[in-house]
Amino acid sequence: MKTVVLNIALFMLPLWLHGCTAIEPVSAWERGYLADPAMQWDRGKREAKFAGHVYTSKEASSGGAGAAGGGCGCN
Amino acid sequence: MLRTDSRLVRSLGATLTALPAYQSALADAPPAFTEVGLRYSHYSEDSLPEERVIFGSPSRYDIDVTQLWIEAPVGGAWSIALDVQNDAMSGASPWFVGLGLDGEPGVIMSGASIEDNRVEVGVTTRYFWADGNAGLAISHSEEDDYEALSFAFDVAWNSADNSRTWTASASSSNDNVSPVKERIPVFIDEESLNTQSMYFGVSQILSQTKIVRIGLSYTQSEGYLTDPYKFADRRPDTHDKWTLSAGYRQFMVNMDAALQADYRYYHDDWGTDSHTIEIGWHQNLGKHVLAPYLRYYTQGEADFFSPIADRSQPFYADDYRLSSYGALTAGVRWTVQFGDWGIEAQAERYRSNNDWSLFDGDAAPALVDFWRATVGLSWRFD
Repeated sequence: MKTVVLNIALFMLPLWLHGCTAIEPVSAWERGYLADPAMQWDRGKREAKFAGHVYTSKEASSGGAGAAGGGCGCN
Repeated sequence: MLRTDSRLVRSLGATLTALPAYQSALADAPPAFTEVGLRYSHYSEDSLPEERVIFGSPSRYDIDVTQLWIEAPVGGAWSIALDVQNDAMSGASPWFVGLGLDGEPGVIMSGASIEDNRVEVGVTTRYFWADGNAGLAISHSEEDDYEALSFAFDVAWNSADNSRTWTASASSSNDNVSPVKERIPVFIDEESLNTQSMYFGVSQILSQTKIVRIGLSYTQSEGYLTDPYKFADRRPDTHDKWTLSAGYRQFMVNMDAALQADYRYYHDDWGTDSHTIEIGWHQNLGKHVLAPYLRYYTQGEADFFSPIADRSQPFYADDYRLSSYGALTAGVRWTVQFGDWGIEAQAERYRSNNDWSLFDGDAAPALVDFWRATVGLSWRFD
């Protein structure tokens, strides 16, 4: 299991490193693909809020997705 | 009316000339339409295995969640959104962990089924200008034994060429807990908790098909952080948390799809570290979208956690949520847009296991597995 996760991490690392080192100028009229809903950071505001509440209630970790919300619902 | 998910718009680049690097809900213009939406979700936890229960029913929590919202443009530079959410909860939860006849830790459940209802009402207003936007949100949440009032402010601004976007947010929550005393013994009448949180992030367009972001957050809580419904639970009255997060999106032109990758590292002053990795695939299929995703989460145990709480210590807890474990989540989301109507459905399975953790630590007998499913409908109009 640990090997699988490390492999995933090792797979993703070059993507991010590549991203940090290779920035191509993109003109305003070349941003059609970037505007596709597929490129959004979350799956929709309401789904992100619900999923965040579920994970925060069941795991020790929270944060990293902007401002926090309120409420408990955490039994 | 132009739809940004059409191939025509993509090829023309229409309406996208000012697309900032953060896109999505934070475009630098108010929404073009008023949107009304309704979502219903069901969340259900698996029953505990009989051999791990010393006393009580192995059944756990079920929650029915209803979300209703309306979001509308106001004038030429503002938007306002009203969100209402209702959570109807029922079931039982672990009360404490003891030693079973087999010499292994076992769970004593809270006994009779708990019924509770949480209602949250939130209002968000946002102002848009040429190089960014700023939002202010107020939210109130109330259930039988818990009340929270929170405020949040966020701002995003773009570089001159709109290829880089900085975001910052701050939030504050004032919570009040007054436990219901009918089911199990509790030892407090009323306590409060204050939480402040800050986030700073930057996103960068890398190419016509790639975008990346990174963010830092810090959260501080002060007040009553113990779980009043757990018999063997005593936690510090402060909690400092930090996260470092990163995200990457790459559009695959030939496949009309996108790869989505996210990572978060978490650390807190209770001794817990965690890693979260999520990989998603967003497949456009005409008016339909199919988006499967996988998530792996692993955490180390808190300094004061033990499978059976050591009450001789200043702080102690047997709460499985503070133990060392790993969790795998698999989900799929489907959406379709018919004119002004949008339909969504989603299902997700979550399983956790001490053996899946990257961290050392003793196993908690009450680790949770659950599934959740959602259906939703939205309607846009001028």
